[in-house]
Amino acid sequence: MGTALFTVFATVACGAALAVVLSQNVVRMAFYLVISLGSTAGLFFLLNADFVGATQLLIYVGGTVVLLVFGVMLTASGPFLTIKSSPGDLVQAGVVGGLFLGLVAFTVLQVDWEANAVKLERRYGATSLERPGYNQHGEGHTTRSLGAALLGARFDKDLGRHREQPSTGYLLPFEIVSIHLLVVLIGAAYLARAKRRVSPSRDA
Amino acid sequence: MEGVGINGYLGVGAVLFVCGVVCMATKRNGIGVLMGVELVLNGANVNFVAFSRFGHLGLDGQVAALFVIVMAAAEAAVALAIVLSFYNNHLTVDVDRADELRG
Amino acid sequence: MCGETAVKPRFTHMPLEQYIYTGTVLKWLLGLAWLLPLVGFAIEIFGGAWGKRLDPVAGGRKLRLAGYLAVFCIGTGFLLSLTALVVWKGGTGVALMPTAEAVSHGDHAAPDGGEHGSDDHAVDHGEHAGHDGSGDKPQQATEGDARGQSPAAEAHGHGEADAHQEGGGHEAHANDPYAAAFSGTYYELARFGNLRLTIDYYIDGLTVLMFCMVTLIATCIHIFAIGYMSDELTEDYEDHFVHLSGGRHFHRPGRFYRFFAFMSLFCFSMLGLVIAGNIFQVFVFWELVGICSYLLIGFYVERHSASTAANKAFIMNRVGDFGFLIGLMILWTYFGTFQFANVSPAGSPDAANGPGLFQMVRDSRGDLQVEETADEQVVMLQGSGSADDTSSPRSIPYWLLVAAGVGIFGGCIGKSAQFPLQPWLPDAMEGPTPVSALVHSATMVAAGVYLAGRFYPMFTPEVLLVIAYVGCITLFIGATIAIVATDIKRVLAYSTISQLGYMMLALGVGGWAAGIYHLITHAFFKSLMFLCSGSVIHGCHHEQEMTRMGGLYKKMPITCGAMLVGVVAISGLAFWIPLAGLTGLSGFYSKDAIVASSLAFMAGNPNHFLLFLVPLVTAGITAFYMFRLWFMTFAGQPRDQHVYDHAHESPRVMTTPLIILSVFAVGCAWFGVLENWILTSEPAHVAAGLTSAYHVLLTMPSHHAIHAMHHTAGTAALIAAVTGALLSAVFYWKGLVDPESVRKPFAGVHHFLVEKWEFDNLYDVMFVRPVHVVASWCTAFDKYVLDGILHLLSRLTVATSAWDRKFDETVVDGLVNLLGNTTYGVGRSLQVVQTGRLRQYVMFIVVGVLGLFVLLIMFFPRA
Repeated sequence: MGTALFTVFATVACGAALAVVLSQNVVRMAFYLVISLGSTAGLFFLLNADFVGATQLLIYVGGTVVLLVFGVMLTASGPFLTIKSSPGDLVQAGVVGGLFLGLVAFTVLQVDWEANAVKLERRYGATSLERPGYNQHGEGHTTRSLGAALLGARFDKDLGRHREQPSTGYLLPFEIVSIHLLVVLIGAAYLARAKRRVSPSRDA
Repeated sequence: MEGVGINGYLGVGAVLFVCGVVCMATKRNGIGVLMGVELVLNGANVNFVAFSRFGHLGLDGQVAALFVIVMAAAEAAVALAIVLSFYNNHLTVDVDRADELRG
Repeated sequence: MCGETAVKPRFTHMPLEQYIYTGTVLKWLLGLAWLLPLVGFAIEIFGGAWGKRLDPVAGGRKLRLAGYLAVFCIGTGFLLSLTALVVWKGGTGVALMPTAEAVSHGDHAAPDGGEHGSDDHAVDHGEHAGHDGSGDKPQQATEGDARGQSPAAEAHGHGEADAHQEGGGHEAHANDPYAAAFSGTYYELARFGNLRLTIDYYIDGLTVLMFCMVTLIATCIHIFAIGYMSDELTEDYEDHFVHLSGGRHFHRPGRFYRFFAFMSLFCFSMLGLVIAGNIFQVFVFWELVGICSYLLIGFYVERHSASTAANKAFIMNRVGDFGFLIGLMILWTYFGTFQFANVSPAGSPDAANGPGLFQMVRDSRGDLQVEETADEQVVMLQGSGSADDTSSPRSIPYWLLVAAGVGIFGGCIGKSAQFPLQPWLPDAMEGPTPVSALVHSATMVAAGVYLAGRFYPMFTPEVLLVIAYVGCITLFIGATIAIVATDIKRVLAYSTISQLGYMMLALGVGGWAAGIYHLITHAFFKSLMFLCSGSVIHGCHHEQEMTRMGGLYKKMPITCGAMLVGVVAISGLAFWIPLAGLTGLSGFYSKDAIVASSLAFMAGNPNHFLLFLVPLVTAGITAFYMFRLWFMTFAGQPRDQHVYDHAHESPRVMTTPLIILSVFAVGCAWFGVLENWILTSEPAHVAAGLTSAYHVLLTMPSHHAIHAMHHTAGTAALIAAVTGALLSAVFYWKGLVDPESVRKPFAGVHHFLVEKWEFDNLYDVMFVRPVHVVASWCTAFDKYVLDGILHLLSRLTVATSAWDRKFDETVVDGLVNLLGNTTYGVGRSLQVVQTGRLRQYVMFIVVGVLGLFVLLIMFFPRA
């Protein structure tokens, strides 16, 4: 069942991504991107990352891509809808991309994951998700743990274990990201506003 | 782990990543370049979540993925604003026209 | 009242607490009197230089605050010195007045100046009394030194001590020649091994006496100077003696404050020299006195003559100081201390510093311990060095002790203007007249005599003979030149030289007290005469030539009278006064004592007869030239009507000091107070004299011997003086004989005297011209040899730098340029890559990552 689902989602995600690359129409590219991102969300669910998957669907598929589509609509006037790349570029990129893919695949395949897992287990014990005393379902899958982690408490690591010091949480990065988002908001608003001042004639 | 090991997920991440890179390298449309970036980030996210699942880091990978998603959203917003600004200045979204930084 | 009393003063030996108390009080009283002028100097010089606050302008005239401050400082010093005198007398119990006891012993104090013979009995009686009192202390005949009697005072004092201070007294001082002295340290500057550099004090009767004398005279001179220097109280002083081109005179701001600042410094230096407790400190203040005299003689620095005179004074003093330095080195090498005498009572911190120079070189009776070793004579030192150094008795070769004495005396020669270093003193007249008065009476030249007196215990008979002959030659030279001098101040200057010669002579022939005596009386009447001459010069508007004066007694009666007092005093005249007997002014007594000493010396050493004849003749010459001065200035008819018409008596601020000093010049020697005072600090070995010991073929007269000659010498000196005075009256007052007619046959001699015995010319030929020749050689050497070498070197340097420049321009610059060009070229070539195309950059990134991975895998394969 899992394998079948993985196969479906993986195939769709990779295919849609290839379609994004190969499509020359920007609107279609956006559509293929939505499909690719959605399939990736499915992969996340398969990896027991329910909250990340949901976030993927909500923010990426529902937010970012909509943003991109807006961008397409604002700029895709006539001739710019499809800007053809030269075939030479395509071939060049394809060759380099293929080489890169081969390199990455080669690297991944080089690693002996089974031996690695055994080694790690000997050192750290069972993975947190399989550890006794940590009821993943009781914790509402990962949502509660993630929320606690972002506020500085690590249920997934500390629960059911005796530790001298609690593990590191993510409160500070969380705050930094909040500020970051605020800055981005202001910056984007500024950039979007500056264009009107530069060319008021095209404002309408 | 029902048959599909970490290799599968890493492979998918790699494909997404390479697709993103090729997309960035070939699209002359600024929006297309942005989409390539999204693909690259997504590929990385797949890796993060996969290592969270198969590794020994607990939820750290997922937290990282969350941050990446947030960053991607922010990046998309800013980049889109830049593209719009570029469009307003050059009346085009062809990134090949933006060669002011040529040496 | 005859001045000569042979009974030595005795010290009632006081308890230790009283001794310490007296010493402490004296230390701070005199120390304060010493430092006050320094404070005054600091305020005057800084206040004057920075703010002109000390002579501010009020109503067009500047105020005289600097002068008042200086007078205040030195005047307070005088009061402190007087207080110190009272404390010292009360503490030590010295009898300054001839006491009733002394009268009962021998009625020598009867006002019977003519009956000197009776004094002999008094002496005998006193000494017998001394023997009786010290019955338990048998006379000890020292080896080979046939002393007539043990010093009466010591013996007597010992007896008294035994009688009155049974057990609990200050026993350490019972038989101590330094019983009335206090020594100690103000501040230790540094200590190098055994060498202590300290600010010491050594206070005895002489110190207190010098303090009183110096401060009194300096106070008078300061007051006088306020009037005399009032010309300087202006912002625009015209110096009539400095001629600029175009017949103009030099103009400058007045220097009132500066004058008084230097005067204060001068007083400070002199007092420091007097209070000094070690010879090194004396040397420091010695030099300070020298620099002060330099500053003051060159006060009118714009006048060429003044600056030259200042240089001359300073350089000539340096010549003498060279001897001083040699003496210091010898003393330090062999004695290891600079202190005069360490008389601190046992147990006080200063007592640990070991004995002083005097205590080491003389034993408690004041004898030198001479021993004959295999090849030389050595003087054994008493209580050798510090306590931890008692292994072997230390000694100093006899000839080195002589050398040290002569060296120290060399310093005195320079400072007191003795032959052959006397020419600086007349030239020093270039300074303002108050300076001359101060330099020539109380401070500078007195320093030399004072040091010779203070250092007396270190002088061996050979040194004393040198001193005597130097003094003898000096007094004759000075007197003869004074006969022909016409400048009023120069006459006084040569008279000063001559009188200083008298003092040195007296010290040299064993009349220690006589020399110091004359120092004090001379200080009074010579400062008086200088101030009088200053008053005359001031009144005659800076006219100094006596040939243009005359008849001034009508114009300036006070000055005239004061000058007459000084002239009579220095001439040594005496008058028969019915009730008091033969009474003279102060100079009579002191000169009397000197002539008596030299006569006694001649009696003991017939082959040194010149030491008696020359001063006797010179006594007449002194009277002659001094009366000549007075007659030419005040008596007779005016020689220059212009000068006479404009002459006027000086203001009261100037005449008051004259009157005060007149009183002292007349009476300071009366009642024997001064002489007793001086005798308290006479070195122990002087009183008994010395009959030719085996190591020296000299006889030093004892008090007894001097006393025996007193009558004869006094009569002879008085006759000489009267003769001189009468001759002078014949020549210059009555005009019975024209001086010109006498001068004609002796034109050569006259020229010789006018040229000051050709000393200046002689020194010019002996030293100045050879130095010029050597200097020209040096110039030539400089010009041709040293300059040649330098030019060669510079050319070499220029050539080297040219090469260096080439190297710089080619190699160094080339390297730098190459580097820059390379960087630029690489940048140029890499410019092509920088296309500005986004997509290409992405490709570059990817290719770069690929490349990196490939490299990684190639070079770091998995193990």
